[in-house]
Order: sequence, then C-alpha cells, then structure tokens
Amino acid sequence: MSRTPRISRRAAAAAVTVALAGGAAACGPTSGDAGADATPHKGGTLTVLNQAPQDNFDPARQYTTGGGDIPGLVFRTLTTRERANGAEGTKVVPDLATDTGEPSKNATVWTYHLKSGLKFQDGTAITSADIKYGIERSFAPELSGGPPYFRDWLVGAENYQGPYKDKHGLDSIETPNASTIVFHLTKPEGDFPYLATMTQFSPVPKAKDTGATYYLHPVSSGPYEVTENQNNGTHLVFKRNPYWSAATDSQRKAYPDTIDVQAGLDPAVINQRLETSSGTDADAVTTDTNLGPAELAKINGDKELKSRVGTGHFGETYYLAFNPKVKPFDDIKVREAISYAVNRTSVVNAAGGSSLAEPATTFLPDQATFGYTPYDWFPAGATGNPAKAKELLKEAGYPHGLTITLASSTSDASYQGPAIATAVQDGLKAAGITVRINQIQDDSYSSTVDSVKTEPGVFLGSWGADWPSGGPFLAPIFDGRQIVTDGSNFNNAQLNDAQVNATIDKINAVTDHAEAAKEWGALDKQLGQRALTVPLFHPVYERLYGKNIRNVVISDWDGRVDVADVAVK
Amino acid sequence: MTRFVLRRLIGMVVVLLALSVVIYAVFYLAPGDPAQLACGLKCSPAQVAQVREQLGLNEPVYLQYAHFLQGIVAGRDFSTGTGVLHCHAPCLGVSYKTGDQVTSLIASRLPVTASLALGAMVLWLALGVGTGLLSALRRGRFTERALTTLTLAGNAVPVFIIGLLLLLLFCASLQWLPFPTYVGLTQSPQQWFWGLLLPWVSLALIESAKYARLTRSSMLETLAEDHIRTFRAYGVSERALVTRHALRGALTPVIALSALDLGTMFGSAVLTESLFGLPGLGKLLVYSVGVVDLPVVVGLVLVTGFCVVLANALADTLYAVADRRVVLT
Repeated sequence: MSRTPRISRRAAAAAVTVALAGGAAACGPTSGDAGADATPHKGGTLTVLNQAPQDNFDPARQYTTGGGDIPGLVFRTLTTRERANGAEGTKVVPDLATDTGEPSKNATVWTYHLKSGLKFQDGTAITSADIKYGIERSFAPELSGGPPYFRDWLVGAENYQGPYKDKHGLDSIETPNASTIVFHLTKPEGDFPYLATMTQFSPVPKAKDTGATYYLHPVSSGPYEVTENQNNGTHLVFKRNPYWSAATDSQRKAYPDTIDVQAGLDPAVINQRLETSSGTDADAVTTDTNLGPAELAKINGDKELKSRVGTGHFGETYYLAFNPKVKPFDDIKVREAISYAVNRTSVVNAAGGSSLAEPATTFLPDQATFGYTPYDWFPAGATGNPAKAKELLKEAGYPHGLTITLASSTSDASYQGPAIATAVQDGLKAAGITVRINQIQDDSYSSTVDSVKTEPGVFLGSWGADWPSGGPFLAPIFDGRQIVTDGSNFNNAQLNDAQVNATIDKINAVTDHAEAAKEWGALDKQLGQRALTVPLFHPVYERLYGKNIRNVVISDWDGRVDVADVAVK
Repeated sequence: MTRFVLRRLIGMVVVLLALSVVIYAVFYLAPGDPAQLACGLKCSPAQVAQVREQLGLNEPVYLQYAHFLQGIVAGRDFSTGTGVLHCHAPCLGVSYKTGDQVTSLIASRLPVTASLALGAMVLWLALGVGTGLLSALRRGRFTERALTTLTLAGNAVPVFIIGLLLLLLFCASLQWLPFPTYVGLTQSPQQWFWGLLLPWVSLALIESAKYARLTRSSMLETLAEDHIRTFRAYGVSERALVTRHALRGALTPVIALSALDLGTMFGSAVLTESLFGLPGLGKLLVYSVGVVDLPVVVGLVLVTGFCVVLANALADTLYAVADRRVVLT
C-alpha cells in the first residue's frame, strides 16, 4: 500500500516508488500495430522516456509493485506478476522459484524451491543463500527505502539491522540446501506469494555486495544488465545478460537488444516526443507519464495517434478521509450527509474528465482481484443528493447548514490539490455545507495528514495497492493495531474495532486468493457503512507509445506498458 | 591589485561561511524529517531512528556543522555497510537520499549548467546589446519601436512557454532539429551544440530584453554627456564616437548586470533545465530541497554563491577596464 501524494504523482509513479499506474477494467492495449507485420522480433533499441530518474538502482532500496518495470529487467524474484493484459495480469506466477510457494497449514511457513540452471550475469549459479542475503541486506539502514513488510512479517526481524552490523543473519529465513528457502512468519499471511514479487526477493551475491554503492553495478539475474548509469538513474543503458536463459523465464520476452532509459524529462516534452515519433522516439515508451486532458482531446481526433494510446488501470482510490476525533465528524450523520452531498461528476471533471477518472462509491478498486463488491450506502447519484444531505444535517443538529474546513495539498499534480478540493466544495454548497479549503504545502502534505498529532478533520486522501489484493488495501487503513502514534499513520479514522481486526486476521490466513478476495469485498462493504471515507474516483492511465512499438502488454497489476515484453521490430 | 584579490578572497570565504550557517539554521527550523524521507513513509519509528543514526542526524546541530567544515578542510569517511567510502577534501558530505558524494553530484552537473549559462549569455548579450544599440541610434524611428516591442514580448513570455513553442515548431512540426538531449562538450561538440541550441535561444530571448533596455538608456545617457559633445565638436566621426568612446561608458552597467545574471543562472535556470531535460544544478537543487537533503542543498548553495561572488569580482575588474575612472581597491 502506498500513499501516492507527497513527491507528486509523477515522481511517485517512477518505478522506484510504488507503482502508480492505473487500473481496472479489461483494458490492455488499444492495439495500435495491427498491421500485416505485427509479429514482434528480437533486436533493436527500446527507448524509455521518463520524468523520474530510476534512482538507487539497488534491489534492497526499490519500493515496487510486482518487482517494478525497469527493475524487473535486471532483478528476478522468487515470484513475479504475470505479463498479460487486463485482469489476467493480476496473477502471481513463479519466477526464480518452481511454484508460487508451499504454505504450511496455517500459512505461517512458506517454502520455495529454485529452478535449476539459474545464473547471475557472471555465470555463477544463483543459490537460495543469495536470496536470503538479498532480503537481509534490505534491513541495513545504509540501504533504506524498501517496503515495511519484512520487519512486520518475518520472525525476529523487528529490530534487525542487516548483515553489515549483524553477521549472524535472520534465523527465520532458512536455506536447507542451495535450491530451497523457507520463511517463518510471525502470523499467517496468505498474500506471501505477492510479497515475493518485490525486488528484495532478488538474489544478491555476498561477494559482490558493495553496500551503499552496489546500485552502480548491481549483479543481474534477469535478461539485461546495467552497462551505464549516469547521474544516479537519469540515464541508464541496459544490454543483454548472456547468462539469462529464456528457458527458465516464462514472463520476460526481452525482444530489444538494448534498452535506453532517459529520465528527468518534462511531461509535456515526453508526450510531444512520443506523438512526433521521429528518429529513436519511434521506438519509445514511457512508464511514468500520462496524457493530460488537453493532449487526450487532441489525440482522440487523430486516428493514427489514437491507435498508439495504451489504457491501463492500477488499483488506486481517491477519497475524502474523515478524522472522527475532530468535531463535527465524530457524528456519523454529518459524515453521511457529506457522502450524500458530494458531486462526483464535478470531481471527475476536475481530475481530467471521464477518460482519466472513474467515479467510485467503494473503497476497494473496482477489480475482481481486490474482491470488488459493489455498494453505495449513501447514494449521491451523479451530481449529489443535497435534499437527503440537508435532512441528515437537520437530524444532526445543523438545520441551518454547517461550515467545515477541508485540507488539500497545494499541488494538483497528485489529484489532491485545489482543483479537486473546489469540486468537492461546489457539491457540498448545494447541501448548505460551506467548505473552507486549507491548502497545505505539497511537500509536507502527507506528513501532516498522516500524523495523529496534526491530522485535519477532513482531507483529500488516496491509497494505492502494493499488490492487487484486498489486504494491503484495507488493513493499513482500518486495522486498529496499525495505528501509529509516533510516526506515519494511515489508519486516518483511527478505527480500532475488535471485530474488524479479527476479520482482517482471519482473511490474512486464507491462501486461496479468490476466496480471500470475496471476504475482503464483504469487509469493505461492511466498513463502507461507517462512512469513514467518501470514495471519489479511481484514476485511469492513458499513455502514448512510439510508432514502432509492438507487443504492448498492459496488466491491471500496474497499468503500464510492460518494458520486458515490448518489441521495437 | 594584490590587495583587491586578497580582500575579495576573504570576503568570499566570509560570504560562503555565512551562507552555509544560514542554510543549516533554516534546515533545522523547517518542517520535514530527512531520516523519515530517506527511509520511506511506511518506516516504523524504530527503523527511522536507525536511519537517523546512520546519517549522523542524532548528533547536535553544531557538531554536524563542525563535521561538515572538517570535511571541507580534511575530508571525511562514510560507511557503505560493506566498507568505507573516503570522501576527499573538499568534501561536502554525502546525500541523505542517495548516498552519492555531493562533490561528484555537483561535478557531474556543473558542466551542464555552465554550458547552458555561458552559451545563453553570449546569445543574450549579442541580442540585447545589439538591439539596445540599434534602438539608441535609431531613436524614435520605426526600427526602435519594432525592436522594443519584440524584446519586450520576449521578456513577457515565461520560459516554459517560449521553450515549448520552440520545441513544437522546430522539433515537432518542422523537424529541423532533434528533440534536445544533453551530450557533453568533450563527448561530441556537435551534439552538444545542437542539444543546447534551443535552451540557449529560449533563455536569450527572455533575458535579452533587459539588456536591450539597459544598453539603450545607458547609451543615450552617455551620448548626452559633455565629453561626447566635446568629441563631436572636435569633429570625431559618429562611428568612432559610438564604438570607441560612448560604448565603453555605456557598457559598465551591462557588465554589472551580466555578472549577476550569470552567477544566479547557476542555481536558478530550473525551468529551462526541466523543460529541456538538462541534468543541471537548478533541477538538483529543487529536488533536494523537496526531500530535505541538507548536504546536497548546502553544497549547491555554496557553489552558486561561489559563482555569484566570482562573477561579481570579475565584473568589478571589467568595470575598471571599461571605465578608467574606476580604481580597484
């Protein structure tokens, strides 16, 4: 789970951070290259034009969903996401391991066996010890930046400081032989195979580890190796890793011989270059830049351009978050009134229109993999139901309306700025609710709203998925034991309900994803009744790619054109 | 002259020290926890504490500052986990965010910004002084009005509009130029030039208006001075009058302004750098301020400060060359 705001949506979208890209529905490519010779071939150079640099290119320091796109070219992991269009692409499949993991009966012990014939870029064999070491070094404070799960999930890992300070290592990761690795968890986690897609599960040979400078020459286990890294990921060049074998890797097609990543570019320039598609830009894609409303309008009028737009969905919800510790939001009637009054049509328009945002009434994204279960407890229709809202306000003791303060960021780049805030303001006005907008400086927005000490009464919130499952979507927001009083707290409503907590534990132990999804959906529906959030919309990603790009695969896992599958010939 | 240089050097050290103290102070008053930001938003308080210790942020501020000064004079050692990274003097520390040495971060971006700033200055001086002179000599005529209008229009449009329009015209529509990417001068002078042409032009279009106005008014002022009148009375040709006598006096304020502009360009050409994807100092500064990366911010401010002070010293020297009444002390 990740909060996307802070650095701005654009920066966050960069592979380093949690994936942002967009998500639902059976999208996939709008199939541009339907020409006679659309068969992908090996060879050529793929160019990636991005805004955010691929910084700290070390598997321990990356915070990715499903192993990321560019990191996934170099770092293979125990499991990975299936490279397939739409919902098919939300599945976990084996990568270095022979299967997605064998759980013990209560899902607290997970065992993996490595495929045979796996090699690093120097030809040495990949062993289970290399994977254990890779995870252990992600605990080192020198290599900070990765996701928090390892500390929470692995036995005895809470205060572990990594192999540089503590040579003994973690006893909860066992390697009985060179091809077997066993994880002992503190609690049942049916989602472990999803976690095992993250780059921390990538092997690192201890002899080649150079600590904080490893990012310059990470040892590849994937189809490509880094041959050039300028200005910490601003310009990266990848060439083939001769020791990678397609026979052991069913997911990465690796068509291009070279991949050239140019970052630090302006979004308008990226889209202009893709549109013009001249020279090497014809062989280019972007992994972090969306088309804006104006650009989309232009492209929609041009058949050739329109054929080169890939639509993607990533599990992410934008919503109003309430802090019931602040009056009048302690009163559920007031929260319900606001839920009824909200005008989702103007909010969607403020987010760029219906092709870039879909109205939401559920907290979970509308994809089966999350357990999407439709509900609309406080039906506001397309444009709000002010009559019903006024009625509820009267019951709550505000017959003459109400004045509230909505906190937003100063930047619209993360969909949490003045544009969305004023759209909410307009809707509530019709119901007699006067909204004052309190703009908080963008770079301190998350730290303000995610601290129990400074959290406003109501603010623009967002949540994205670390992997496509209900767990990482609901638990951090609604699990009472995840309330953090002296750090970043994402349970903004500070809900601590024994029954909800017990349900979360129960579902976490389920290893059958479809079964778990159903139960997450039911929990979401039940939580929705409490009106702790007002879901506003799920974003949609529209991204342009160059003229020569073939074999476009966009999964609902991350919603982006998959760089491991794209071909330029 | 020696005294002048010495005084300037001492002044520079004092200015830079003061700058670094101010940045350190502002940094500790400003919100945002660099350890939390380096660790990630989801880090537990215990983990943030480990990172804070690793970054040396749990030491008192004055000690941190002392280490910083020590690094500049004698160099410092940093742990990489598996070994020790020696940061040679003058060491400006390592980035909290990436662990890169600040000196190498700056060294790799300085050529980009220097290329941008110097190239743009050549263009804007040529354009600005040229149009300024023409306007002064063709005072009140159509040429002056046309030039004034054009330069003012250039100045009125922000760089991200001019830049984008130039990109659209020359790279997208006409396709006369490739979309600019920065290639080092030593790598390929030709690609370096073509990659920087549009950024130079964009900056020059914006900056030259100031210079045109300044040159024009300063030229008119000088032309009205007594000694020029005397020269004219002695029958000195108009051409010699302008180029040999008037221009010299008229250029002094232009020199002062270019020095200032050039110096500040080293930290503030952010929009141009962003639009054209140039990995320069300004972009690094904005990013580093956002993630509260103190060592990088201090390093960049010192480098920018150094450039401004140096440019000013240079301007003062040129002043004396241009105007013999000025004496360097």
